Amino acid sequence: MAGQSTAGQHRHSSFTSTIATVVLALAFCAGFAASAPPPGDQQCLACHQSEALVKPLADGDSLSLHISGGEFAKSVHSAFGCKSCHRDIDPARHPASASIASKRDFSIERAKVCSGCHSEQYHQWERGVHAALVRAGNPVAPLCTSCHSPHAVMRGAAQAMDTVPCQTCHGAIFTAYASSIHGVLRAGGVTQAPLCFACHGAHDVKVASAGEGLRDACLSCHSEAIARHQTWLPNTTLHFQMISCPVCHAPKAQRTVDLVLYDSTSQADASMPMGVPEFENRSGANASGLGSAALFELLRKLNGSGASSKTSIRGHLDVRTGVEAHQLVPASMAISDCNTCHKTGADAFQSVTVSVAGPGGIPIRYDVNKNVLNSAFSIESISGFYAIGATRITLLDVLLILALLGGFGIPALHLIVRWLSKQPAKRDDNEQRQG
Amino acid sequence: MRKLYVHQLPIRIWHWINAIGCVLLVLTGIQIRYVGLIDVLPFRTAVIYHDWIGAIIVGNFFVWLLSYMFSVRIRVYHPELDPIELFRGCVRQAIYYSYGIFKGAPNPFHLSRTRKFNPLQSLTYQIVMLLLLPIQCFTGILLWDLSRFSRVVDMLGGVRVVDTVHVGIFIIFVFYIPFHAYLGTLGRTPLEHYKAMFTGYEEVPEDQEAEKSA
Repeated sequence: MAGQSTAGQHRHSSFTSTIATVVLALAFCAGFAASAPPPGDQQCLACHQSEALVKPLADGDSLSLHISGGEFAKSVHSAFGCKSCHRDIDPARHPASASIASKRDFSIERAKVCSGCHSEQYHQWERGVHAALVRAGNPVAPLCTSCHSPHAVMRGAAQAMDTVPCQTCHGAIFTAYASSIHGVLRAGGVTQAPLCFACHGAHDVKVASAGEGLRDACLSCHSEAIARHQTWLPNTTLHFQMISCPVCHAPKAQRTVDLVLYDSTSQADASMPMGVPEFENRSGANASGLGSAALFELLRKLNGSGASSKTSIRGHLDVRTGVEAHQLVPASMAISDCNTCHKTGADAFQSVTVSVAGPGGIPIRYDVNKNVLNSAFSIESISGFYAIGATRITLLDVLLILALLGGFGIPALHLIVRWLSKQPAKRDDNEQRQG
Repeated sequence: MRKLYVHQLPIRIWHWINAIGCVLLVLTGIQIRYVGLIDVLPFRTAVIYHDWIGAIIVGNFFVWLLSYMFSVRIRVYHPELDPIELFRGCVRQAIYYSYGIFKGAPNPFHLSRTRKFNPLQSLTYQIVMLLLLPIQCFTGILLWDLSRFSRVVDMLGGVRVVDTVHVGIFIIFVFYIPFHAYLGTLGRTPLEHYKAMFTGYEEVPEDQEAEKSA
C-alpha cells in the first residue's frame, strides 16, 4: 500500500509539474509575445521599424517595408516569428536586389505564403467571388493581405463591427447595414445579429443575391420564417422562391424584376454559370434596354435547331442595389400589404433587368424595357415570370373589354330588337280588339 | 301544354352551384386581376375566396360528370357525328335567333326527354363542359399552388402560358355567362326556363308530346 501510495504521489507530482510547466511556458510565451519579439525578429525589426524604409517598385510606385513593432508584438502572428512567413529571405543576402513589379503582384505572390498555414481558408477564398475577381484581373479585388494586415492580425478583429474589413471596400453597403436592424442589434451587443460574414461567408465570399443564396442566408437564422409567413401569406413557398427577402423587409428600396435564363431541361439557373454574350451585345446596342420582340427573338435563337436543352426566362423580384439590400427594418415594419406589388402599375414592376453571370457569379444586370412584362410576346419570352395583376398582358385586357361589351351588348341589342319587333304586332292586336 | 320532367335533381343542384360559383369566380377573378383599379375586396381576401370557390366548382364538375356518365341521360351530350346535320341544325337555330324570333316564327327545336338541347346549345355545352371547364379547372389547380405543380407548369411552357390559358377561358366565360342568362329568357315566357331549372319540369305543347309518343 505504501509503495502504491508513493507511486501515486509521484504520478500526481509529475502531472502537477507538467501542468505547471505548460502554464509557465504559455505565460512566458504570452508575456513574451506581448512584450518583445524574439531576438531573430528584433533583428528584422531593427530595420523594418523605420517608417522611412521603402522599396522602389518596377511600376514606379514604392512599397513601404515598415513594420510596427508594437502592433506586431500584439499580433497573433508574432508568436511564430518573422521567419515563419519569410523563409525565402536569406539574412546573409538581405536586402536582396530582386525586383517587385507592383504592390498588387507582391500581394498576390505573398497570398501563397498565407496558404502554407491557412490552407483551408485559402481554398475557401479560391472558391469565392473575391478570387474570381482576382483571376478576372480586377485590380482591387481583395487578397489575404487586403483584409488581414499580416503584421497586425488581431484575434476577433474581423468579427467586430468597427474593425470588420469588408467596410474598407464596401463602405456604402456597410453604412446601410449599420443603420439596419441587424447593424443596430449588433452594435447593441447582440452577437447573434449577423455581421457581413454570417450571410456572405468569411473567405468563400458569395454574392448573396445570386440564386437562392440570399433566401438561404436569411433562413439559416430565421428558420421559423416560412412557418410564420404561412399564417398569412397565400402561396408562401412561391413568394419565397420568386421574391428576395429585402423586397419586403427593406420597404424603402427600389425594386426591380430581375430576369435570368433558366434551363427547363435540367431545371437550373442557366445564366448564372455561363452568361450569355447575346444579351450583352443586344443590351449594348440598345441603351433603352431590350424590348419584348428582342427577348422573344433571342429565346428563339437560343432554342433554335441544335439546342440541347430548352431555355426559358424566369424572373424574380429583387431590390435594385446592394446598398438597398442591406436597409433591413424590423419585421413589424416590413411590407405585408399584397396591393403594394399586385396593384396595377405597382412600383415593383417599373424596373426590369436581365442578369448575366459576371466573374465569380456576380450578376451583371442590364436594363430591359419594362413593357416586356405586359407584352403578348411575354407568353413565350418571359414564360417563367408572372405577378398577378401587376404584369398582366394588355392584349388580354382589350379582349376582356370586348367580351364584356359582347356578352352584355349583344343580348341587350337582341332584347331591344325583339321589343321593337313586337310593337307592330301588339298594335294590330289592340286595333283588332278595339275594332 | 304538358309538363315534361327533363332536369333531374342532381343536375339542378349542380347547375345552380355552378352558375353562382362561376359568377363569383368571374367577380373575384376581376378583383384579383384589377386590384388598384377595382377595390371592392382586399386582394388577399379575393384570392382566398377565389381558391375556395374554385375548389367547389372543381368538385361540382365531378358531380356533374359522374351523374351523367352513369346515366342514360348522357345521350343529351352525345355529339352530332354527322357534320352536315350538325351544320344544318346550328344554322337553322341561328337563323331563328337572329331573324325568325323577331318575326314570331316558331322555334325549330322541339324539346323531349332525350333531346333537351337545341343543336347550338348542344354544341356550346359540349365545348363548355367537356373542354373549357375542365381546362379551366386544371389550370386553376396549377395556379393555386405553382410551387407544388412546377414540373407540370414547366412542361406546359411556364406560368405565363398557364395563366394566359386561364385568363383566356375566363374572358370566354365573361362573354358566355350573360349570353347564357339571356338565352334562358327566350322561352314562351321570360322565366319559363328559369323555373324549369328549379322545378325540373319544362312545359311542352301537346302536339309535340304526341309527336314524341308517335
